[in-house]
Amino acid sequence: MGLVRRDTSPQVGKERSQAPAYDLLERHLNSPDPELRREAALELDGWDEAVPALLGRLDVESEPAVCDAILTTLVGYDTGPVAARLVGHLAGEDTGLRIAVADALAAMPESTLSLLPDLLVDPDHDVRIMTAMVLANMRHPEAESWLVAMVRGDAHPNVVTAAIDALLPSARAEHAPLLQEAMRRFPDDPFLRFVVETTVPRLAGTYR
Amino acid sequence: MTIPMVAGAGLSDLDFEKFREYFYKRTGIQFTAAKRYFVDRRIDACIQSSGHRNFGGWFAALRLGDRTDLLQDLINQLTVNETYFLREDYQFDSLLSEVLPRVLAGRGRPGRPAGPVKILSLPCSTGEEPYSIALRLLEEWDQIDHVDVEIHGADIDSAVLDRARLAVYGNRSLQRVPKPWLAKYFTRIDEDRYQLDGGIRDAVTLAQVNVCDTPAMRAVQDFDVIFCRNVLIYFDELSSRRAAENLYGALRAGGFLFLGHSESMSRISPIFTPVRLPEGLVYQRPTGAK
Amino acid sequence: MTMEDGTTATALVVDDAATVRLYHSSLLREAGFDVEEAANGLEAVEAALGTVFDLFVVDVNMPKMDGYACVETLRSDTVGTGAPILMVSTEDRPEDADRAYRAGANLYLVKPVSAKRLARVATMLIAKGVPE
Repeated sequence: MGLVRRDTSPQVGKERSQAPAYDLLERHLNSPDPELRREAALELDGWDEAVPALLGRLDVESEPAVCDAILTTLVGYDTGPVAARLVGHLAGEDTGLRIAVADALAAMPESTLSLLPDLLVDPDHDVRIMTAMVLANMRHPEAESWLVAMVRGDAHPNVVTAAIDALLPSARAEHAPLLQEAMRRFPDDPFLRFVVETTVPRLAGTYR
Repeated sequence: MTIPMVAGAGLSDLDFEKFREYFYKRTGIQFTAAKRYFVDRRIDACIQSSGHRNFGGWFAALRLGDRTDLLQDLINQLTVNETYFLREDYQFDSLLSEVLPRVLAGRGRPGRPAGPVKILSLPCSTGEEPYSIALRLLEEWDQIDHVDVEIHGADIDSAVLDRARLAVYGNRSLQRVPKPWLAKYFTRIDEDRYQLDGGIRDAVTLAQVNVCDTPAMRAVQDFDVIFCRNVLIYFDELSSRRAAENLYGALRAGGFLFLGHSESMSRISPIFTPVRLPEGLVYQRPTGAK
Repeated sequence: MTMEDGTTATALVVDDAATVRLYHSSLLREAGFDVEEAANGLEAVEAALGTVFDLFVVDVNMPKMDGYACVETLRSDTVGTGAPILMVSTEDRPEDADRAYRAGANLYLVKPVSAKRLARVATMLIAKGVPE
């Protein structure tokens, strides 16, 4: 009783040398056991050949914890093909997956930004709203200019307000005319009026 | 004659709000209004050492995300990084009075065989945290004579692990240790150095592990409680996600994770369930088949 | 906005957009509520663990944990609140409202919500405590 020490010597090195083979991990990715799937998704980090299998699994996976693990690994691949496949989920029915994919895309700025021209003109306004959310959470100097483009050019008021809100944390006095123009385009939107009326005066005081 | 205190540069309310939101999003650390003065002063110090002329330039550089040195300096300025015995020990109170009883109640259920209660301190740094846990359990846990407990420490830095194995500490590190415990468990080397007795040192297993390294963390398994305090804040989005997943995998189903006092999982990952304790939050790996 | 026991009603506004939080918060304060805010579903759950709220206003699209999952968690044993929950969203398909009610929300509104509407439904939900 009391404090006991593990009898065996440090196991870390031993475990590493017994790393599962790729084939086993890929099989586990489709195991009926969700915990095995979750662990496999995390362990496939660094196996480039696993990317198609991970993307494919994401299409059919129902366990949120496994989706999170798959995305944690995929986020390490900031490449065009991966982002292009992930973006498809922004229009999906599964809200949880939409959100999780948006979080992942925000962490893959280079590849996601290359898709912005198409996303900005996606016919589904929900996809464009999700795009604003991705840009809101993305740490990249170009994100701001895409948000400005959305505020200036989108036809749907909820997309514009989503983009404005994403822009506000870094908004400066020079953005005031942009916001006022948005309010003029959608005069009946009480929220937009509120945003502009409360925010524009404060912008003048920023960055002394 | 009193010299009036100059307000200093300080931040406008708007800038403070923007900063507060950014810092919370980035690190999970919240500042209440009460800390405003403290934060203002620290930010001034960061701006000065950064070479930027004003808050605007510094904040813009910070937000871009590529100046990790700016962020590191900021986090160092705003958090207490000193390690010492019984730091934030209200969490050890929670361990004894709230968490360990739940761990014991869960033993014997499917997926949680009987066996030692396993507690991990990660990062353990120079050992103060795992040894603090050991001392609190030995001195204050009424079940310690009936239950086997394994205490583990892990850190990415082998130099601090060597110091943890040596377990020699100065007054600054020991200031919160009750004098009777000092007499009972430490040997005085000189006026500012005490060594923890061999019995306690031997009872704690120390290993070098990087919490972001999934294959390495595979060896870290079946823990009932993990203390991972004030380290996730240093990680970027990718690393903190992976660290959260690895910590999840290191816990048993129903196991508990303590973060630092003002940290939150809400900015990192949704995989844990928050649990309210009298003294704050603890995060739980969901129960259910492992 | 006074509860039966004489205390001021407290609302939690949950939205990742700071300005939307500000908007809904100021409308609710004008209607007599004390208001706290959370920026995503996880924060909302953590806040609800520490404070008894009389009303929740929850957005759908938020990072880390979406509104439906948040509402489900608020209703589950993790929090177990019986307080009225109003979901607010940019989506206006019928299946979204159904999803909200299945999750445990009392009401589902489409953005933008006017000041009058929010004050009216918030007051009504507190008074009746039952779905419309």
